[in-house]
Amino acid sequence: MLLGIDVGGTHTDAVVINQQGIVAAAKVITVHESLLHSVQMALEEVLKSVSPRQIRKINLSTTLTTNAIIEQKLDPVGMFVSAGPGINPEQYKIGKYYFPCQGSIDHRGVEREPLADDQIESYLQTCKANDVRHYAAVSKFSPRNPIHEKILEKKLQPYADFITLGHQLSGRLNFPRRIATAYYNSAIRQPFNRFADAIEDSVKKLGIQAPINILKADGGTMPFSVSRRLPVESILSGPAASVMGIVALCDIHEDAIILDIGGTTTDIAIFATGAPLLEKEGITIGGHSTLVRALITRSIGIGGDSLVQINKGKLTVGPQRQGPAMALGGTKPTLIDACNIKGLATAGNKQASIDGIALLAEKLQTTPPELADRIIETAVSSIMNTTRELIQEINNRPVYTVHEMLTDRQLAPEKVYVMGGPAAAMSGTLATAFNIPATVPDDYAIANAIGAALTRSTMELELFADTEKKTLIIPVLDITEEIPSQYSLDDAVSRGKTSLAAYLRNFERQDINEDDIEITEADSFNMISNYFMVGKNIRVSCQLKPGIEQTYRKGLETS
Amino acid sequence: MISADNKLGVIFFPAYDWAIDATHPEREERLLYTQDQLREEGIFDISGINEYKPEIAAQVDINRTHFCYPNVEAVTTESHLIAAGGAIKAAQLVMEKKVDKAFAIVRPPGHHAMKVVHGNRGFCNINNEAVMIEYIRETYGQCKIAIVDTDCHHGDGTQNIYWHDPNTLFISLHQDGRTIYPGTGFVSERGGPNAISKTINIPLPPQTSDSGFLYVIDEVVLPILEDFKPDLIINSAGQDNHYTDPITNMSFSAQGYARLNEKLNPDIAVLEGGYAIQGALPYVNLGIVLAMAGVDYSHVREPDYDPEKIRQSTKIDVYIENLCREIMDQYRQPIKPVGQEGDFSSRSKSVYYDTDGISDEQTEKVMICSACAGLRIIESRSSVHDRCLGIEIPINACPRCQDAGHRSLEDAKNAMRYRFIKLINRVDREYQTFNQEELSPLSKYFF
Repeated sequence: MLLGIDVGGTHTDAVVINQQGIVAAAKVITVHESLLHSVQMALEEVLKSVSPRQIRKINLSTTLTTNAIIEQKLDPVGMFVSAGPGINPEQYKIGKYYFPCQGSIDHRGVEREPLADDQIESYLQTCKANDVRHYAAVSKFSPRNPIHEKILEKKLQPYADFITLGHQLSGRLNFPRRIATAYYNSAIRQPFNRFADAIEDSVKKLGIQAPINILKADGGTMPFSVSRRLPVESILSGPAASVMGIVALCDIHEDAIILDIGGTTTDIAIFATGAPLLEKEGITIGGHSTLVRALITRSIGIGGDSLVQINKGKLTVGPQRQGPAMALGGTKPTLIDACNIKGLATAGNKQASIDGIALLAEKLQTTPPELADRIIETAVSSIMNTTRELIQEINNRPVYTVHEMLTDRQLAPEKVYVMGGPAAAMSGTLATAFNIPATVPDDYAIANAIGAALTRSTMELELFADTEKKTLIIPVLDITEEIPSQYSLDDAVSRGKTSLAAYLRNFERQDINEDDIEITEADSFNMISNYFMVGKNIRVSCQLKPGIEQTYRKGLETS
Repeated sequence: MISADNKLGVIFFPAYDWAIDATHPEREERLLYTQDQLREEGIFDISGINEYKPEIAAQVDINRTHFCYPNVEAVTTESHLIAAGGAIKAAQLVMEKKVDKAFAIVRPPGHHAMKVVHGNRGFCNINNEAVMIEYIRETYGQCKIAIVDTDCHHGDGTQNIYWHDPNTLFISLHQDGRTIYPGTGFVSERGGPNAISKTINIPLPPQTSDSGFLYVIDEVVLPILEDFKPDLIINSAGQDNHYTDPITNMSFSAQGYARLNEKLNPDIAVLEGGYAIQGALPYVNLGIVLAMAGVDYSHVREPDYDPEKIRQSTKIDVYIENLCREIMDQYRQPIKPVGQEGDFSSRSKSVYYDTDGISDEQTEKVMICSACAGLRIIESRSSVHDRCLGIEIPINACPRCQDAGHRSLEDAKNAMRYRFIKLINRVDREYQTFNQEELSPLSKYFF
């Protein structure tokens, strides 16, 4: 049995699933001040009907780190940054103890200027004097050569409880994002670790002996021990849990649009041939862009409780939330009231909806049913426009080869999946507007917890080989080694795959099939000097994409 | 988060699967390190800087601009159409006000491609800037455009295309033609009879450094731009004046390029040459992107940058001062009328396509006209396609030049002397090819 827990802003949902379907589910109010307590409550609730011994795996999605960043509850971090030429590193100042250092590494990973010991020593004294215990070291082009970050690590070690090294976060190139990601990782490490200790403790006390995984925003999980090293990877995993829930509940094989219509907002996600699409870069949080990978989602201020208003003769729906609907005793009309009038929803007192909408209809000299039509139309067209913009953005992503320019596949959604409270009410109108069939899955109310329970590990790695310098580097695995000068792209591709699989297999009960690993980049460039080839510049990226436990999914279909 | 003063669109197309040949400077690897640098700097996270996918230029976009013999397909690859399409995308973004400025970092380059195209010369097949400019005029209406070519090699192709156009100002700064390919671009080359002083050449001595280039911008380029009052300024942004470039002899730096761009303030920049792909391009491109976006570039420099080492001699200072004075004196001289209105002015030239080893003898006639750019007729006899004739009725052509153009076409068809006759009729948007071999199988025996 698999146990999934999603700590959300309002509710904490838990679900236990076996191969026949859902065994137990719980929904408790999230206690913002003690997320641990919320998790414990939900766990105790589901364990009423399930033996703890039967649980094989726990997947947990939590808002702990997200809240810490948004509420600025961050530990001071000593940020040591070696930049070299480029944009002034002062532009990326983050936190109080930010120290741009001398030193430079270029795009080939060649050290062009060494670090300056005296300078680092003096910055360290400042940190020491202020009792800074968390550190991060980031150098420009560290995914090409982490030497400066490693030297800094040695120097920081005596003073540090925890150090984040930039190259271990991601092999992708983006120095400002590396700085922000490393900073957050160190700044939230302590609260995350305390939370992790407490979770581990209470799980043991409840008699569960299963490994724990933490959900990430890319729709996958990471092993518990990894999350203690990379707590930043746990931010904003909530929307991903819902998207993975849809994957679990519906058998998606085509290009599709996923709409999660809540009370306040509608979250949009996009699938290409059945797989959720990932953002090209990473999450932006607390005003800083990071390297934390995420599923593509867009949020717009249209939901069931969106306020309906007439401003200077113009009808608006949202983005302000006004709950509950008048049908449920509210004071102002909402989108749900409009659905009620049209018979699309059956919420509470229909007459109250009619009366509320009638007041607005008078202003526009129309009837309540006609205005209700226009309200729904307005909401649907906002959702549709944002979705279309998003699809256009995806279809317009730059490519860098002639071949890709000529063969570029354009996304063309064939189906729209709708979940959330007003899903059933809106699906028909949405299907008509998008002109494709709409599906509303069963159990959508706890889809997030189901998604959390069934999602599997994800992982991305970049490999960079330079046969002129005879070096190979896999930054996230901290691998740097010598290669022969005849090292080929094929060698690099298979090395990338085996390294990724071996890393994940290292963790308890991780069953990784190398065929599931997708190669997202495999390029080899001949490097020429004075009209002679001096070596190859090889880049490989591979990933284990988000996916769900198929054997368990089948149970959900029949349940 | 950093925010740009100017909204900048970057069209980045490195053509990672295309090369002239494996070890040629114009090869797959050329923009690899530039992309690494731009990515590592987080350029596209700067608020206001966005990356766009190029368009693919259509046949008609090329046929509107060039006489391609025998046709566009034969003298281009997809990569050329995408590079030109990258420039077109830059124009669309700027003209439709989606951005304030745009930079097309595309390859292969184009500024050695002339009006007539038989193959590749100086790594260029079609002229990306000219294809873009004529797209702009066709789509958004006639306008005055200035092209400032800062590639180290004379922009002879662009000069050739706009030689007669009074609405296009072409200024080229380059290493003196006596010391480098293509061996042209002297001060005396000033434009055709209908467009005198709309071509300005500034041949600079080897080892010219930042101070020399910036002096030329201040003393010649900006005053002439001020005088011309263009609607758009285009920078043909070659990066081979760099002190590390392997095939040139100048001493320009990334800081210099960024400063030049800031002073010039172009609406659109299009990458041309530049073959120091590791030591120069990553830093020069970064400097130009930041300068165009109005973001601080003061920390952008090459790892081995030493201003003392690349400082130009006082001898060069004096040479450039004199050169600028000569150019400005010549520019300010009253323009003498050349020939009679309605007469043809003609010139002959030999063109060598160095990459493809093609030689071409051209005779060009232009109708002297005060009302438009003048009817232009180019006869071309190349080692691959003999007996080619191109007739161009320019955009906004006057009735006389239109009539003369139609007559010339009829005459040429009747003469049965040409293997290919091409018509560019910008007034009626007709771009036609008349292939005459079939009509007269015997005609070849008469030549």
